[in-house]
Amino acid sequence: MNSSIPVSAVISAIRPLAQDVSLYTLQTEPGNLAASSFLAGQFLELSLPGVGEIPVSYCGYPTKDGSIELCIRHIGHVTIPLKTSAAGNVVALRGPFGVGFPMSAYNGQDLVLIAGGLGMAPLRSLLLTLLARRKRYGKITVLYGARDAESLLFLDELLELQRQGAIALSLAVDRTDHGLANVPGCRIVLLPELLDQLAIDPGRTFAAVCGPPVVYPYLVSALQVMALPDDRIHLSLERRMKCGVGRCGHCAVGRYLCCVDGPVFSCAQLAGIEGALG
Amino acid sequence: MVARFLEISNLKALLNLLRQRGPVHGPLRGADGVVRFASLTRGVLPDLSASRTMLPPKKYLLYPRERILTYTDHEGYRVPAEPGLPLILFGVHPCDLAGVNYLDKIFLGDDPDPLYSARRARLILVGSSCIPDRFCSCHASPSPLQALSDLFLHTVDGGFILTSESACGDELLARMQSVLEECTMDVPEDTRRFFGSTDAVPVIAEPEATGPEWQECADHCLGCGACSVCCPTCSCFDVLEFGGLDGCSAERVRQWDNCLFKGHAQVAGGLSFRKDRAERFRYRYWHKYGGFGPLRDVVSCVGCGRCRVACPTGIDLRQLAGQLDKGGK
Repeated sequence: MNSSIPVSAVISAIRPLAQDVSLYTLQTEPGNLAASSFLAGQFLELSLPGVGEIPVSYCGYPTKDGSIELCIRHIGHVTIPLKTSAAGNVVALRGPFGVGFPMSAYNGQDLVLIAGGLGMAPLRSLLLTLLARRKRYGKITVLYGARDAESLLFLDELLELQRQGAIALSLAVDRTDHGLANVPGCRIVLLPELLDQLAIDPGRTFAAVCGPPVVYPYLVSALQVMALPDDRIHLSLERRMKCGVGRCGHCAVGRYLCCVDGPVFSCAQLAGIEGALG
Repeated sequence: MVARFLEISNLKALLNLLRQRGPVHGPLRGADGVVRFASLTRGVLPDLSASRTMLPPKKYLLYPRERILTYTDHEGYRVPAEPGLPLILFGVHPCDLAGVNYLDKIFLGDDPDPLYSARRARLILVGSSCIPDRFCSCHASPSPLQALSDLFLHTVDGGFILTSESACGDELLARMQSVLEECTMDVPEDTRRFFGSTDAVPVIAEPEATGPEWQECADHCLGCGACSVCCPTCSCFDVLEFGGLDGCSAERVRQWDNCLFKGHAQVAGGLSFRKDRAERFRYRYWHKYGGFGPLRDVVSCVGCGRCRVACPTGIDLRQLAGQLDKGGK
């Protein structure tokens, strides 16, 4: 298959997650590589025919039946028109592209997943991958912050995993307009403050971070204060990956290309790069 | 390597023979005084003494604006058909040959770009020696990029020595036997000697990101992007999609983009990762002298001098690369 040509997929389900955020399930041919062989943290290029193409992180776990889950916020030139689409509509996709989270490095280690807002989407994929082989890993902690309680994505899934004891979960919201009482353990703090009460063993912990660019500098410095080495901090970066294969030149981060060298980078890779963390 | 002599008076006859193989394009000075690669129709001779064309050969491989995909509800996305006719590009300087070599590294390989690879396969390159002028800097530092061509013309007194560099070049030489003579003189020092270096220094000294040189250049830069448009190795492109009025078809277009433009690093929601001009200016510098992604550490400046000619405020990247003290003029 040539990675330049999008293949058709059908929207099989749309599940609203929050205001302007929905989980799309796409159906491709069973065995399609874009559905069956990706790593958490990788992305695909989603086409809405007649409108355009955008990079979207995988949100789910690889499947053999050809289904793919993508978490979409209706904010851009493709995702706003996509809002009017319905189950049965046709889209197209190319992928998977990029470098995902280094799963083999996580064997036997504790994981701290830190998500801000829509950053939960790729980290959900990582979380599902970790849970699929739960015994391989130590303690899994999820720290998740959003604007308000209504914007916390996949809250039901996360609370259930916490109840089962599979993960430790801390939640934070910036605002407390309403609904906070329904979310157990949710605090009105900024996301980096969730790290204050967390004890980690820096020698056997990896942090996987994904959020809006504005939170990265604060999260990284908070993790560094906890003595977590830079090569144990993994960040998923958002850039304008138009081609996905290292050609169009839009997604450069320093001298890396986000589409082929990333979008998951270690903090050590990004040290000293102007604008890397937003 | 096969070498033959061509008397200058036979150039027209040689072009006629080449034309039997396909359309021939070469440097031509237009009525507006601008030298550009254009069609060499019968009887028209190329301007082989011109220092450089305004645009490099990339315009033949990566069109300024082109349809890359078509869509119909019935067929999905498809790559449009590319005509398979050969194109002979005549009189290409070593720097531009190296520029094509760099584009090959980006667009060919294991997962080639369908349109680029189709055009590249039918492109026949006839290189020519040149005399560097004050804007050129191929001689400032050796480059690992290779100046590859099918045929190469070395300018000598009274004509050219033609050398064949590929099977296609051998075939062309055979085809042109009637206008060529045995070569009795030595091939002059090759003007491609700065390319294909195995001990090329990968990265040129990088000035402090916050140093005064940067700010001075950024202050002068108008952000017009002319340097990037005329660069043989700048190949950033934007991708746009247009829906058909029938509601069930579409076409996807790519067009040259420019890293000096504000929108280049913008993502959904309007956030830009290179907000100010100095950042965008440094980005271009790093791309030229440091390389990105799979081509990290490959210097992509081939020294053609076009950006220095085109810049309305006279910015010279060699100043930042520390090349002015190393033999650049």
